[in-house]
Formats: sequence, C-alpha cells, structure tokens
Amino acid sequence: MAKGRELVGRIKTTENTRKITRTMEMVATSKMKRASDRVAAARPYARALGDVISSLFNAELAERFPLLRQPAAEQRAAVVLITANRGLCGAFNANLIKEARLTLAYLEEKGVHVDLHVIGRKGIGYFRYVGRELVVARTDITDKPSAADAASIVDGLMADFVAGTIDAVYVVHSKFNSVLSTPPHTERVLPVAAPKRAGAGRDYLLYPSADAILTELLPSYVRNAVYRALVETAAAEQAARRTAMKSATDNAGEMLNILRRTYNRARQANITQEIAEIVGGAAALQG
Amino acid sequence: MLKVSVVSPEATLYEGDATSVVAPAFDGAVGILPSHAPMITVLGQGTLRVNGETPARFAVSGGFVQVVDDVVRVVTEQAKAV
Repeated sequence: MAKGRELVGRIKTTENTRKITRTMEMVATSKMKRASDRVAAARPYARALGDVISSLFNAELAERFPLLRQPAAEQRAAVVLITANRGLCGAFNANLIKEARLTLAYLEEKGVHVDLHVIGRKGIGYFRYVGRELVVARTDITDKPSAADAASIVDGLMADFVAGTIDAVYVVHSKFNSVLSTPPHTERVLPVAAPKRAGAGRDYLLYPSADAILTELLPSYVRNAVYRALVETAAAEQAARRTAMKSATDNAGEMLNILRRTYNRARQANITQEIAEIVGGAAALQG
Repeated sequence: MLKVSVVSPEATLYEGDATSVVAPAFDGAVGILPSHAPMITVLGQGTLRVNGETPARFAVSGGFVQVVDDVVRVVTEQAKAV
C-alpha cells in the first residue's frame, strides 16, 4: 500500500491547507467589513470639504494660492504608491505595481524626473528588486490607517510643492467601488484640482476672509485625498484577500475529492486482489 | 431647529437636531441660532457645544463651520467628544 500511504499524506496536507485558507477568508471578510465602514465614514468629511472649497473657489484666487499653482511644465514629480504589507491576496499588489510602472513610464517619457515614494512591504520589495531608488519606503501604515498617517505622508510633499521643488504629486492606490471592483487608480493630488461647483454659489459671510479659509482648508483637502486613498486601499486589500482565499478554499475542496476518490479506489483494488489471491491459493491446495 | 453634523476625516461624530450651537471660532466663541445667515468661519481651538435634546460637547482644533439654511456643518480634522 505504498501508493495509499502517500495519498493519505497528501489528503492530510490538503485538509490542513484548506483549514488555513478558510480561516484567512473569514478573517479577511470581517476585516473588510470594518475597512469598508471606514471608507463610508470618510465620505461626509470629503463631501463637506469639497462643497466649501468649490463654493469659495474662483480663478482670481487660484493665482494666489501656492497649492493651486498650475506649473507650466512638470519637471519633477512625486509618485506615491500604496501597496499592502502582506501577500496572499491574489493579484492585488501586482496590479498596483503595474499601475505604478505605467504611471512612471508615462511621466518619464514626458521627461519628468520622478521621485518614487512607496508605502507597503510588497511595493518596496518589487522596486528594490528592480533596482529603483526609493525616496521614501514605509511599512508602518497598518490596515487601519489614520488621518495622522495621511498627514505624515503628504505634509512634506506639500511643503516641497509650495517651495517649488516638485511640480506634481500623484498617488497610485486601489479604488474601493465594491467588493468585486477594486481597480488600481492614479490620482493627481497636487496641484489641487478645484472641485466642480454644484449649483449657484451662496453668498456666505466669511470669517475672517475667503483667503484665510482657503489657506486653512486646502491642506486639509490634500491630506484627505491621501487619507481616502489609504482607507480605500486597505479595504480593497481585504476584499482581494477574501476573494483569493475563497477560491483557494474551493480549489482545495475539489482536490480533496479527487484524492479521496483515488485513495478509495486503490484501497478497494488492493482488497479485491488479496481475496483473489486467497481464493486462488485455497483452490490450489484442494486441487 | 438646526440640523447639526460634526464630521472628522475618520467618522461622523454627531448628527441630529439642536436648538443652538456654540463654536470656538478663530477669534472667540460664535453662537449659532436658527435662521442664521449663511456663514463659513474658521475654527480655533476650544470646546464646541451643541445644545438641544441630545446635548454634546467636543474638543476641536482647526477646521471650519458652515451654516446654510439652518444646516450647521462642523468640519474638523481633530475632534473628540468630551
């Protein structure tokens, strides 16, 4: 029964693997639920900020705010790539890295010097492997990103942008449209694209002044764009992991069926053969 | 009645009706009652008070208040219920 022993071993390992993937699927499902709640909780703030900025915004003001400055030609840009710290989530990280590579290629073809900032172990691993210099490599952003995390990522970039050392900032992240749709996406967060005005602007009393309010709000708006990118990517990661682990669990189940069937068939063939031998032996003695 | 919401990037901290709101504006407290003219003002640091059936207090720092048609939105990066 050498074949049989071997099969028993394989059945056991497949069972164990399935146990692990099923657990990971359940963990990812509950984490995804909480992460998508955070995505939803971030919406009212983003909407309120966008509303107010669009109602205050006009072309004349745009000239005066460094964060709204539209450089004539981009010479130096920063690309912030957000990836996961962990794998086992299907093509999630690979898709983000691919999107980042396309963005880099597109910018560099235009002659832009690109500083690459990478968040998450997976992205860092890839770009180190291909030998690209990383300006920032961070792995300290957890799967519950906070507004403070977003600020720590983008505040330095905003200062550089205001100082004029960089002309644009792009963020490569995953959108979280739904559990099944989490496409990678490149978003330009600087210079700030003024949100479109919805309806006629109201006549607000502004304290202390439109300028002062915008000075306060524009950095918040940029930080919030990055915060949203972080929470959406975190939710997308869990969604991707859930899908990957679900198909791994299903595949393990299928494999178990085949292995068990093969094992039982081999066992039965063995018994049949033994009986045939005994019967044959007995018949020979009687003869 | 005022419709009040207090939002931070991470969560909506308060949503409901109120009879008045006292907010710590950049230059001192500002009181908001129903039928207030549309207004946007920058916040400083201090305590935000929402008075009504479900009164609440928040420590806020920075952000702004928007008042329009008896809807008060307090939008701040740092807010904590106290």
